[in-house]
Amino acid sequence: MIVRILVAVAVSGATIALAVLWRRREGRFDEGSGRFTPADLGVVKIDRPSAVLVEFYGEDCAPCVTVEKRIGKIAAEVPGVQVVSIDAGARMEVADRHEVRRVPTVFVLDPDLRVIWRASGVPSEDAIRTALLGPDWAGRPSPNAVPRQRIAR
Amino acid sequence: MSEKRMVDKNGIRGGAGLSAVLLLVAFVFQWRAMVPAIGAALAIGSLFGLRYSPLGATYRFVKKASRLSIPVEPEEEPPPRFAQTLGFVVCGIASLLFIPGWNAAGWTLALLVAGLQGLLATTGLCIGCEIYLYAQRFKAHEVQA
Repeated sequence: MIVRILVAVAVSGATIALAVLWRRREGRFDEGSGRFTPADLGVVKIDRPSAVLVEFYGEDCAPCVTVEKRIGKIAAEVPGVQVVSIDAGARMEVADRHEVRRVPTVFVLDPDLRVIWRASGVPSEDAIRTALLGPDWAGRPSPNAVPRQRIAR
Repeated sequence: MSEKRMVDKNGIRGGAGLSAVLLLVAFVFQWRAMVPAIGAALAIGSLFGLRYSPLGATYRFVKKASRLSIPVEPEEEPPPRFAQTLGFVVCGIASLLFIPGWNAAGWTLALLVAGLQGLLATTGLCIGCEIYLYAQRFKAHEVQA
């Protein structure tokens, strides 16, 4: 009986540890690399924005709807930010080239469409603002590393 | 995105938490009958739709009886329904393993289900749903190729 209780506690502990790790990773922005082309974004020409938020979404993906709402809200707050949504299932080659392993995945691009940040999962609104505006947008420290200041204010 | 039947993600998480606890308690007290019972509950959700799942119904009952103000979080049904199918299959295999007396193997599978259900309940991370989405992408890849 004691062994079984210990096993049950171990399974619960492992689950909690995985849950904590998952929560730390989920929606966290990491520095990205590579560059999008206007064709990747499904546009022939892109107006020079201050930044571009790219969301890869998928069918049947409920968290994608949450992300879409969040980035739409923030894009409305921050002047010059352009939002592009890409169906990862329909545009597989673009998703593969940018190593999109799951949806939603959000990219923050600079005006030259270079990838500055990327996050898989559902980033918080604050994390998206920080990725766009830097750590000082509300006097708060970055939730991750300090972003490179390559995005025009 | 196409219109599909929606389910409450919090209901799925609540049901997952309930099944994880039941499987862990069953393991401690060696109630082997609980494994096929949970498998049957998952099978009902898988075959008839998640709104008929006894686990989800228990969550809704507890929520209503306790007047908990947990919001409804809509989610499209196919991925969690596929995940419940996987859970049903694994619980089914575990139940079959109990018949010839391979209890350790049966409980290992049951605890795997408990762990994954616990993960879903605590984080919302649904491994079965992720497998479904990968499979969809793979299928789309095949079609494009």
